[in-house]
Amino acid sequence: MSAYIAHYLVMVGVYGILAISLNLLVGYSGIFSMAHAAVYGIGAYASAIVALNLGMGFWGGLVVAGATGALASALIAIPSLRVAGDYYIVASFGLQTVIVTVFSEWTSLTNGHAGLPGIPRPNLAGWQIDTPFEYVGLAVVLTAFTYLVCRRITHSAFGRVLQAIRDDEIAAQAMGRNVVRVKIVVAIVSSALGALGGSLYAHYITYVNPSSFQLHESIFIMSLVILGGSERLAGPLVGAFILLAIPEALKFLAIPDSVAAPMRQIFYGALLVAFMFLRPEGILGREKAKVKS
Amino acid sequence: MTPLLSLRDLSKSFGGIQAVRGCSFDVAPGLITGLIGPNGAGKTTVFNMITGFLSPDTGSIRFRGEELRGLAPHQIERRGVARTFQHLRLWQKMTVLENVIVGCRTPLGENVLALFLRAGAVAAEEAVAREHAMQVLEFFGLADRAGELAESLAYPEQKLLSMARIYASPAEVLLLDEPTSGLDSEWLRRLVPIVRRLTESGKTVLLIEHNMELVAELSDEVVFLHQGEVISRGKPAEITGDPALNEIYFGV
Amino acid sequence: MDLLLQLLATGIVVGSLYALCAVGWGLIYGTTLHFHVAHGAVFTLAAYYAYVAQHLLGLPLWVAVLAAIVAAAVSGLLIDLLIYQPLERRGAVRTVVFIASLGLLIVIENILAIVFTADPKPIEVGALKSSLRLGPVYLTWLHALTVAIAIVGFAALVLFLRWSRWGHAIRAVSSAPEMARTVGISLNRVHLLTYALGSAITAPAGILVAMDVGAEPYRGTRFVLLASVAVIMGGIGSLPGALLGGLFLGLLENLGVWKIPSEWQAAISFGVFLLFIVVKPRGLFGRRVASADL
Repeated sequence: MSAYIAHYLVMVGVYGILAISLNLLVGYSGIFSMAHAAVYGIGAYASAIVALNLGMGFWGGLVVAGATGALASALIAIPSLRVAGDYYIVASFGLQTVIVTVFSEWTSLTNGHAGLPGIPRPNLAGWQIDTPFEYVGLAVVLTAFTYLVCRRITHSAFGRVLQAIRDDEIAAQAMGRNVVRVKIVVAIVSSALGALGGSLYAHYITYVNPSSFQLHESIFIMSLVILGGSERLAGPLVGAFILLAIPEALKFLAIPDSVAAPMRQIFYGALLVAFMFLRPEGILGREKAKVKS
Repeated sequence: MTPLLSLRDLSKSFGGIQAVRGCSFDVAPGLITGLIGPNGAGKTTVFNMITGFLSPDTGSIRFRGEELRGLAPHQIERRGVARTFQHLRLWQKMTVLENVIVGCRTPLGENVLALFLRAGAVAAEEAVAREHAMQVLEFFGLADRAGELAESLAYPEQKLLSMARIYASPAEVLLLDEPTSGLDSEWLRRLVPIVRRLTESGKTVLLIEHNMELVAELSDEVVFLHQGEVISRGKPAEITGDPALNEIYFGV
Repeated sequence: MDLLLQLLATGIVVGSLYALCAVGWGLIYGTTLHFHVAHGAVFTLAAYYAYVAQHLLGLPLWVAVLAAIVAAAVSGLLIDLLIYQPLERRGAVRTVVFIASLGLLIVIENILAIVFTADPKPIEVGALKSSLRLGPVYLTWLHALTVAIAIVGFAALVLFLRWSRWGHAIRAVSSAPEMARTVGISLNRVHLLTYALGSAITAPAGILVAMDVGAEPYRGTRFVLLASVAVIMGGIGSLPGALLGGLFLGLLENLGVWKIPSEWQAAISFGVFLLFIVVKPRGLFGRRVASADL
């Protein structure tokens, strides 16, 4: 398998994990988060730090990544979801900002802007993951795991309650459901899974630095969900296949980087706006706004 | 008989308008109590206060002796008081069966850890809930519509579904908000016996009814609310036969 | 002590900027319930409008500023007219409007980045940059003007809302939209006016910052985030709350610098925000956050 295609597939896996887990939150629970890049970064850094400083193996790193992501998410979800979804948007915006600051400034832990190089490649009980092909295999396993976990959750009584909340939250409360607690659980699960994507990334690129986990990355992950479609759990994976192919295609046009980066952002932003007009399904739940002219 | 649900001195005002004042009455167990009164009498406001969607300015609401005031709506339902809504609030994009299953208790299936660590027990619980939901649907005559989306049902069937949803829950007290509104006489003929049978399994019903004639058919006891106050209560015949009350109800 | 006073003064200046953003955003949010992150783009656009008016059109400073404020007001209005209202006509829920707003913010910021590059674009203010000394405190006249504009702008807005017919309409829609509609108020028109007003009161903030350090394409994101934090802490639906919230954040940031490295300012503000919503979720003067429509 050409190394080039293998690289593409691994990144599709990383972003697939990120987008599928974000979809659980945004598409299935109607809660909007600006912090998924922060979660991605938490997973990457947590995994890298325990591997480099404690010599922890890949699986252990995964667990630490997931737990740290879950914890960070709980920290903002519990106070804000208690009140309203809009509070969570602001809180997630804040988390995103703070986490990037932690990555850039807490140099004793994260080495600041220089980042953490030399992250060891995964060693799964003696089997060293080295070749691009092997990484693809690992990516497939982790993406499938993320998908299956989300699927189990959405196709269950819990998933039924999620749909009820999306359709009519008041009725869900009237039927005895603690809507706040359900939302908090979803936020935590979504972040724990998203952090796994960070772990995979860290052990693949073997280097992490703060620039990969900025706000515009959250926007990109959101674009994957919107483009791929949030009604189906695997929709965002399709989004990943498509959007990750584009920069490669664009490389054939000689555009200076100072223009290419904003242009990419314009594309993602325009995609978000366009899709809200063309295909708001999945995000579109029961009409909650009481005011329509 | 000790009352199951007991309202004392409930009052609520909205920006200068006193919607409910000094409202006190009891709901006896195992019976159907009808709450009747002209438009704007405060009936739905009372329901909203009982079920925690509005907080009363004064008063207390006791269920089995426990104070409900201050609890969140989901906590009140868990304690055993469930309600329907005037605007139904069904989950339109879910099937008829799904709407009712949510009424059942499925604590394992709603616990994310249990989903992965106790899959067998989760499956068993789901099967039991499904079975129970189907029985409830049969009771309401909706069993053949189980797999259809709630939004595809005709309005009268949707009303039945909203009742089925709370009937499936373990809640002892069922609050029905205008169960007969918007129904033609043919559907009323089908609905009234079903409502009467709700107490068969020992549940208690408090319903809001608009129609003075229907309230006699539907209820064992009637509470008459006017301008936010309870002005009379008793057997249906006493209430509907009272000329003063009739004048208030049909009058200006 | 001198340092403390200096930080206090700077805090009030920065707080005034945040206050202008918060009042504008809060007015829009409280009336339309739109989480209008694209307000950050309007903030940024105002600065560039002023820059273009002055440097490319050669207009005198105050004409340029006025034109920029008007242009910003129109921009905000157009966002509602061309994006939000059509979406709502198609039955969009609030998350859809928010995502569109976010996309719009990204698009506008990055178009500005391509057109004007990321280098700060200056607005010449001449004598305003000269220093002003109040005892031990060093400021510029520009800073003093910032505080003055925040006070005057806020007062003007409050008076408008209290005494004018359209102001009453906005307040009616803000507190009870359904009732307002039954009385014959056109929600669409009120929304457009709200966007124009909210944008107009925030525009000076964008321009003032650009006068100080130059117009930059990505600055608006940070300001709109802080605006939303200020509005929540001050209480949704309360403009004085938004003003105080903005001021508080400005003071927090600057006094925080006394002990805490400036890179962590945002983290501190955010931490305070989280604590605040645990302790006082309605904010200082907020009305009910969610009203159940039964």
